[in-house]
Amino acid sequence: MYLYRLMLFLVFGGYLLSPLLMSGWASPDSAWYRPFLIWGGLIALSLWLEQKRKLDEHG
Amino acid sequence: MSAAQLFLLGIGYLSLLFLAALAVERGWVPIRLVRHPAVYTLALGVYASAWAIYGSLELASQAGYGYLAYYLGPAGAFLLASVLLVPIQRLTRTYQLSSLADLFAFRFRSRWVGTLITLVSLLAVLPLLALQIQTLGDVTRVLTGTASPALMALAFSAVIALFAILFGARHTRLHARHDTLLAVIALESLIKLLALLALGAFALFAIFEGPASVQAWLAGPGAAIQAEVTRLDPGQWRTLLLLFFAAAFLMPHLFHMAFAETLSRRTLQQASWSLPLYLLLLALPVPLILWGAQRVGADSAALGAAYLAYGLSESPWIQGLVFIAGLAAASGTLILIALALSGMMLNHWVLVAHSPIHQPDLYHWLRWLRRALIAAVIFGGWLFYRIVGIHHDLMTLGIVAFVGMAQCLPGILAVLYWPGANRKGMLSGLVVGVAIWLLGMWLPLLTGMTPRILLPPGLELLANEPDWYVVTLVSLATNILTFILVSLLTRTSEGERAAAEACSVDAVIRPKRLPLDARNGAEFIQRLAPVLGEEVARREVERALEALRISPQEGRPYALRRLRDRLQANLSGLMGPSVAQDIVDSYLPYRRGAQEPTDDIHFVESRLEAYRSRLTGLARELDGLRRYHRRILTRLPVGLCAFGVDDELLMWNDALAELSGIDGASVVGSRRTDLPAPWGELLGRMFDERQDHLYKQEVRLDGGVRYLSLRRAELQADDAVRGGTVVLVEDHSEMKWLEEELVHAARLASIGQLAAGVAHEIGNPITGISSLAQNLRYDTDDPQLLETAEQIQQLTDRVSRIVSSLVGFAHGGRHVQGQAFATLALREVVEDALHLIHLARSGQDVTYRNLCPGGCHIEGDAQRLVQVFVNLLNNARDASPDGGEVLIEASREGNGVCVTVTDEGQGIDASIRDHLFEPFTTTKAPGEGTGLGLPLVYSIIAEHHGQIHIESPPPERERGTRILMWLPTNREDGKHPHEPDSDR
Repeated sequence: MYLYRLMLFLVFGGYLLSPLLMSGWASPDSAWYRPFLIWGGLIALSLWLEQKRKLDEHG
Repeated sequence: MSAAQLFLLGIGYLSLLFLAALAVERGWVPIRLVRHPAVYTLALGVYASAWAIYGSLELASQAGYGYLAYYLGPAGAFLLASVLLVPIQRLTRTYQLSSLADLFAFRFRSRWVGTLITLVSLLAVLPLLALQIQTLGDVTRVLTGTASPALMALAFSAVIALFAILFGARHTRLHARHDTLLAVIALESLIKLLALLALGAFALFAIFEGPASVQAWLAGPGAAIQAEVTRLDPGQWRTLLLLFFAAAFLMPHLFHMAFAETLSRRTLQQASWSLPLYLLLLALPVPLILWGAQRVGADSAALGAAYLAYGLSESPWIQGLVFIAGLAAASGTLILIALALSGMMLNHWVLVAHSPIHQPDLYHWLRWLRRALIAAVIFGGWLFYRIVGIHHDLMTLGIVAFVGMAQCLPGILAVLYWPGANRKGMLSGLVVGVAIWLLGMWLPLLTGMTPRILLPPGLELLANEPDWYVVTLVSLATNILTFILVSLLTRTSEGERAAAEACSVDAVIRPKRLPLDARNGAEFIQRLAPVLGEEVARREVERALEALRISPQEGRPYALRRLRDRLQANLSGLMGPSVAQDIVDSYLPYRRGAQEPTDDIHFVESRLEAYRSRLTGLARELDGLRRYHRRILTRLPVGLCAFGVDDELLMWNDALAELSGIDGASVVGSRRTDLPAPWGELLGRMFDERQDHLYKQEVRLDGGVRYLSLRRAELQADDAVRGGTVVLVEDHSEMKWLEEELVHAARLASIGQLAAGVAHEIGNPITGISSLAQNLRYDTDDPQLLETAEQIQQLTDRVSRIVSSLVGFAHGGRHVQGQAFATLALREVVEDALHLIHLARSGQDVTYRNLCPGGCHIEGDAQRLVQVFVNLLNNARDASPDGGEVLIEASREGNGVCVTVTDEGQGIDASIRDHLFEPFTTTKAPGEGTGLGLPLVYSIIAEHHGQIHIESPPPERERGTRILMWLPTNREDGKHPHEPDSDR
């Protein structure tokens, strides 16, 4: 259940802060693939949390 | 590309889908592959409609990275799968709800809610349907230039509708796993992903020279084009994210895919990372394709921003790839929207207006109705495209659809997280929100009228913002505020409150215990037959019985309530929750009597067990305590059962299950009177006669006759509905048998005392006779008389010896330790015992052979040792067959003598052998043995510092028993090394 709360925090935090990220992505100095790298990092985090949740439920 | 080539390519692709469906259906594809979790993730990729192929390009060309909102919204929704999607899946599965309308109708207990949600869904989805078909028409125009785009789009739509009818409407039940459909939709998702990745790779490596080249172009020649891109302001960006977030589970086709296809919870949770990954891969090529087309100078004005991918290259392969990606995305979305909407319209419009009751073949009728509705939905989408769509771009159509569906967002969040919400609040909010959306977006789309948006005071700043943004904010805010206010100010009905508890994430359902009129499965069929038809009623009841794994003869009220719930859920999957509830309420009603309904504690507990992993903090602690207390009652070593105020059995603990041989799970939920014999009658005696205590009731159970004592206590809690009765059941059989044994032993003891008294009385006259015989010997010289006197003396001596043995034996139990110890010849002790044995006429022809050598001496109490041998020889005689032989042997062994008594009887069972020295253990028939003989023997041998054990059968024999005793020659020798086991 605590992991679910962490998920909620991540998603709503990301939702509120996403305009800041958007302005960063659009700047000409940043690499065009940077948003996708950040997104990939979030997926990896989500995968890790999912594995942890599975262990919690079985343990 | 000519129109014919395009048509052939499209039909070729759709034929491939038919072939794939056929391959899955015929089992040519391994089931392991078809049911792989990756297939489900790919099937969820149906979210990526033609918007993902064309609309994203359009949005990216206008708003730059703003196009990512379409992918990040659902990624966020699936990241929250555990708190958002899994609870919805649990609800839809438990109550067989296959659409958003079903869920709302179930939660808010109104068929009108379902009807309204279906209407809103249809209005919202029509532009999305039109968008899919429009891309087919537009592509025809872009690629062929001359062909009639609308007719081509109609042809493709017809084939897609045929596919949906053939492979999507096989089952009458919406809530079922359609392997074929899932596999085909997954294949389509894979095809569009691979096509887009190939196009992205083409742009990256054929048009640019790799990622660095893209960066250089963006900073150099492309900078001017990028400067024209309008960045979304934070508010618009967040609103877009919210719209796509809501669309991920509210859109009918996505709701159907995520919840109506019965997939495991684990698969849905796995999608929390796998679907975002899929969407990432899908989003990645979009800017590359756009920039590639811009670099090669594709004509944006001629093609349209959405179709810039066709400007990447003149190659028919590249153009064919773009076309296939678009067709795969559009066809998958069309098929699923048609299936989902047809189900909603069937359940909430057709079946509500025209009752299915009394249909001769219900399944057949439902199937054909659904097929007709599928065709109608797709044709409706084509019409909308023809009349409305052609005048608008893809973004406009898509946004109208997404804003419309978002009006259901407050409702679904309330379903999960606000049990206080009620129907009036939800309906008011929805009507207000939808009205703003209709006036601000949908009607202007349809009629071309100027959007009418009434801005509340204080929000005039929004007047210059885009219409979609203002309508979304105003409609959602008004919707939510109205919903909350009306819900707080109006009353919630009892039924709605129960449904709210059933749906709420935090609450555990507390169903009431009410008896049903129907008494078993057969009666369920009888009662449902008039409404569903005999055949359908039987199949539905059998399906529910099988799912619950209960027998058709099951009559427990608890089980019947579960059966009723399951039937309602199954019928809901067939005809929607409103019709299902009407049928079940009318034909399987609860019996309303004078008694207040009480909580179904057993059911609540089973739900709590299932929810355990979701509890946190105080709730988890309390649940831990509840489980602990329950375990105390369950593991209590005394039988315990508890009944509710309506006499329904709530608990049957382990000790009672062991005593009765009846498993708790098979009886909990039964009425007291329906309990198996003899329990119903036994407990009835206590309840009916209002007795608090029944003492040693004779009961015949599987293990024989038992004597049970019952105690009863009323559960009078403050909360009257949690009252009831608890009954303790104690097995007093052993105590009863001990009492009987004690009475028997006391009777024997009194007989022994009597015998001793008689012996004492005989002693005086015998002494007199002996003295007279002595005198006779002195008074005469007659040899004949002398011989007679001698014989009289011998016989009186014998009588005296017998009498003294008898008196000694009678006094043997009151021996004071160590008082009468002397050196004894073992052979004579055995002879004395044999004298006594011969006195008892057993009627058995048994030979005793005293083989003890004359020189064997021990130190001991003669009377006590005689008692030992009498007991052992008695046992040996009783065990021996007629003509049997009992051997008494002795030999020197170390510092003592080993004596054995061996018989030729049946021997002693191994299970009882270890307990023979315990009091009241006997192998003899009831009334023949006291079970006290061998314990006495053991204690006497122990007093002599000896040892005793049993061999049965003896090693060298096949049968019989041998008692071995070791007695020390000198008492002091045996004292330490042979200390008897104190545990005995």
